[in-house]
Amino acid sequence: MSSIHNDVPARPAARENLLAVSSEAAIRSRRAKLSSVAQALRDVGLRVGSIAALIFGWWILSLIFPATLIPKPWETFGEVGAIVASGDLFIEMGNTLRRVGVGFAVAMIASIPLGIFMGTLRSLESFFEPPVILGLTMPGLIWAVLAIMFFGLNETSAYAAVAVTIMPMLTISIWQGTKSIDKDLIDMADVFHASPWSKVVDVILPQLISHILAAIRYGLGLAWKVVVVVEMFGFSNGVGYRVVRGFNTFSMKAVLAWTITFLVVMIVIEFGMIGWLERSVTRWRPRVEGWRR
Amino acid sequence: MAYVSVDRAVKYFAREDGMEMLVLDGVSFEAREHGVTCLLGPSGCGKSTLLNVIAGLERLDGGKIEFQIPDSKLETGDPKLGYVFQDPRLLNWKRVEGNLTFALKGMNVPPGEWNDRLSKYLRLVGLSEFRQQYPLYLSGGMRQRVGLARALVIEPELLLMDEPFSKLDQLTARKLRQDSVEICARLKQTSILVTHDVEEAAYMGDRIVILSARPARIVEVVDNPLAPTERDFDDLHFIQFKKRLLSTVLKLVEQEGT
Repeated sequence: MSSIHNDVPARPAARENLLAVSSEAAIRSRRAKLSSVAQALRDVGLRVGSIAALIFGWWILSLIFPATLIPKPWETFGEVGAIVASGDLFIEMGNTLRRVGVGFAVAMIASIPLGIFMGTLRSLESFFEPPVILGLTMPGLIWAVLAIMFFGLNETSAYAAVAVTIMPMLTISIWQGTKSIDKDLIDMADVFHASPWSKVVDVILPQLISHILAAIRYGLGLAWKVVVVVEMFGFSNGVGYRVVRGFNTFSMKAVLAWTITFLVVMIVIEFGMIGWLERSVTRWRPRVEGWRR
Repeated sequence: MAYVSVDRAVKYFAREDGMEMLVLDGVSFEAREHGVTCLLGPSGCGKSTLLNVIAGLERLDGGKIEFQIPDSKLETGDPKLGYVFQDPRLLNWKRVEGNLTFALKGMNVPPGEWNDRLSKYLRLVGLSEFRQQYPLYLSGGMRQRVGLARALVIEPELLLMDEPFSKLDQLTARKLRQDSVEICARLKQTSILVTHDVEEAAYMGDRIVILSARPARIVEVVDNPLAPTERDFDDLHFIQFKKRLLSTVLKLVEQEGT
């Protein structure tokens, strides 16, 4: 019994003890880093697994249904490859992206000041609230019809349909964000004689940034849906047009292939560009991931 | 020589029921140049209102405030003000240096001077290493130090502090009081500090103006017998002085009770 105790080394001196504590902390932090790497790998694995499961389900369905209704996954991916190789993807996607981009920019430029004014001036809030709420409930499809009837089949109608569809959502987001602005910081800016420009750029906009980012996320989702509808109505280019052409020739493979390329581009924009934008504008905020499992 | 003189200041607040409520009832006192003047009074007595009036954020309904500024750089005759708030009120999306340059920009300090000013005042508050840090990565005490540095970096003619340490824990607050007294003494900074904490007033104030509960009246003006360097929280002279202030304030509270 006592021999066990003999194996225990003597208590280290206080100074060594301190060192021991600090090296233990180093090990712990390294372990934390390792486990965060493992966690990241697990997250990626789960995402890949989820996509693989979708494709597997698709393959099962393709065994049950004829190829004209549900083509085999790899045949469809082959079609995607052909679309990319032929260069069609870049032309059509370029057209669609331009429509979304212009419509989005117009909506953004109009909604940021409108939202800020609605959040700060009660009279403007009362005046603009009904049209904004009405606009929010209006289906994008109807905007697309109205825009084409009004502007005809040209680029303007696509820009207008996208802009008008997403504007209410962007405005509401920025309007609510403005209402939650910290009044104390405005007082602080007054005490230090900040110029009106500096108040907007240094004090107000940074408090809106998370609202603006959320608005961009939802707004992009809406914009994609509307632009494809507009293109389906009779445009002669764009992803929506290609999908309709697939529909007219009853080529399920073409419809799915174009949809997939579209989805991939959207995901790249969503996770790549917007994710990057979000990380770069919220670096000042400590991460709150700690409590998540 | 008086630096700021407040003469029979009267201020009403409109209540929600339409009645007017008297907040400042003929308050007169003088804040001396190069010294810290403490406005000591119970919570809600109107001392913050008094500070806001001095800062020009609110108007008086009667009486007047005069500034005697030997060589003011501002044309209006108003002093150049630095303000330290109860909360740090930092722009969390700007680094520590960005928060300071925000004030410098507002006060039209030429950008050529910014770097020297930043180094000087961040060193003074002990935050030289944290110049590039974002505020949310700092402790509460350090954030309040950034707030102090932001007020000092514009080299104000008058520094106003509104209960700047009341939201910090006891030990952090004590350290910050010590450092602030030292900084103000070294810079010969004319300051007005609002507080409800008797110990803080005794430690920081060169002159302590005791205010009654609302409506605020001047009860007594006491000059601190101890120079800034002689004040020590555990020193007998300091404790005696603190007791004297406390008994005055307690008497006040008892009168309120009856």
